[in-house]
Amino acid sequence: MKLSIADYLVILVYFAFVIGVGFIIKKKIKSSNDFLSSNRSIPLWITSLAFISANLGAQEVLGMVASGAKYGIMTVHFYWVGAIFAMVFLGVLMMPFYYGSRARSVPEYLKLRFDEKTRGLNAISFAVMTVFSSGISLYALAKLLEVILKWDFDISIWVAAGIVMIYTFLGGLTSAVYNEVLQFFLIVLGLSPLVIVALHDAGGWANIKAQLQPELTHAWKYMGNAESNPMGLHFMSLIFGLGFVMSFGYWCTDFLVVQRAMIAKNMNAAQRTPIVAALPKMLMPLIVVLPGLIAITLMRPALQSKGYSIPLAQDGGLDYTMTLPSLIAHYYPSGLLGVGITALLASFMSGMAGNVTAFNSVFTFDIYQSYFVKNKSDRHYLYIGKAVTIAGILLSIVTAYIAKGFNNINDFLQLVFSFVNGPLFATFLLGMFWKRTTGHGAFWGLVAGTVAAALTHGLTVAEGKGGWITGLYEIRSGMGQAFIVASISWVANFFTTILVSLATKPKADEELKGLVYSLTKKEPISKGKWYLNPVTLGIMLLLATIAFNIIFF
Amino acid sequence: MYKRFNELNFVIGLFFITVSLILLLNNFFGSALRGKINLYTGVVFLFFGILMILIKGEKK
Repeated sequence: MKLSIADYLVILVYFAFVIGVGFIIKKKIKSSNDFLSSNRSIPLWITSLAFISANLGAQEVLGMVASGAKYGIMTVHFYWVGAIFAMVFLGVLMMPFYYGSRARSVPEYLKLRFDEKTRGLNAISFAVMTVFSSGISLYALAKLLEVILKWDFDISIWVAAGIVMIYTFLGGLTSAVYNEVLQFFLIVLGLSPLVIVALHDAGGWANIKAQLQPELTHAWKYMGNAESNPMGLHFMSLIFGLGFVMSFGYWCTDFLVVQRAMIAKNMNAAQRTPIVAALPKMLMPLIVVLPGLIAITLMRPALQSKGYSIPLAQDGGLDYTMTLPSLIAHYYPSGLLGVGITALLASFMSGMAGNVTAFNSVFTFDIYQSYFVKNKSDRHYLYIGKAVTIAGILLSIVTAYIAKGFNNINDFLQLVFSFVNGPLFATFLLGMFWKRTTGHGAFWGLVAGTVAAALTHGLTVAEGKGGWITGLYEIRSGMGQAFIVASISWVANFFTTILVSLATKPKADEELKGLVYSLTKKEPISKGKWYLNPVTLGIMLLLATIAFNIIFF
Repeated sequence: MYKRFNELNFVIGLFFITVSLILLLNNFFGSALRGKINLYTGVVFLFFGILMILIKGEKK
């Protein structure tokens, strides 16, 4: 793939704009709250698009296109089962506690609801995870640019990290959020022509259905038996593992996304943020799953004249990760090629900036201010926030180089993240809806959930992974293994939290007002305009999601 | 005009107009084999950019 002057111009214009946004926002940064939590001043349309964009990192974009090619339309489950329901739940039932508690972060909510040690455990694990995620994102970007454009690995790392550092250092969270919105439009509009042209080339959806085996074009029909669908999953594993544990664990507790709703102007906007974001999320498979299905269709004998194929990996199989870059190279002429590459760059940088801004908020508020230097001036914490931004970027660069040196570290880190994230939703569910839950219960529940996740992984084997204690049980796909690990860790956390809570002393009701459902005054459901009502919006979205599932059954 | 740089929709609109101009100029002066896709995308980006600029920012 070779770029022309027009392509480079598009990339340079993008870099100029994202840095320019940093300079514009810089003038508005007066306090640590402005820098680290945007002082709750961001309009709904921006928080909603930033909410979805923070999750639209490159691993998501490249990974979902790859899954679309590998598993077919079943990949939509990550959206229509594994996202929308949790986003509506977050908006309707959980945001009142996050936003109403005036906490500046998810770990701070845990401090208010439970105790310091639960906050500390969550804050430290989250800070480590975000900085590693950011580094892995950076490594993947540099690797991709090295493979498809033959760009130098080191230069790609330092330039991309440098640009993210400039705009996050200048404008903090607001700058990152504003750029996430720009990146969202760039990814959607930059990849839409590809979908249109490639779909036309593949003969439309009707021809895709005619060319591919039915398991690849039906989302649910073949899920009654794990052996008869490409993911190797039974629908019950999917609904509990992905649809409940992993989905709610990520969308409802991960500060990276929840932070975007917590900076909304008021409670109603905070509640509607994930719900409004669920609308583009619901349609996102058109941009990130459909291209994978198109790619695999174009390789069928009847369409070989189109001259497209997914590149081969070193082992001779298809390198699904390269599906999207190869489609871009095949269909985009100079000019638009620059837009496609910029869209990929945007998704990498958006993921990295999201992680860095979440990291600096949690580190500054929940670790530095809570454990090291208390009661200093606001200006002090503003400087620390800025210093942590630089440190976060530098740590990401170090992680990127570690990932380069150790091939398996990505898999290892993703695994550790799943151990920590999997059980987390049980803590929040009990904490918000059962006032008897105690700080000791929450802490030991989290520990038990993480240990259970590690043990389950150590005793099961899937696609050659896991089984590091002993290969007691074999699972057909790595995805199935991930769902089972998450489910068991959730159950372990849930019951340990209940048992330890029953044996320990709960907080007084007075201390839990605004933090627990039964002790919080319920706002009457607004009888005003329907689009201002989170419940009405949520029900409409859920009905639309169910309809999509039925249409593509 | 300068104050509008504080509005995100204005900045996004300006970005897409700039990119659309690159695509359209590349289409007119280049000899790209699939020039039409640049043209159509450039026009869509241009309309989107203008639309974003025309949207008024929230009153404070």
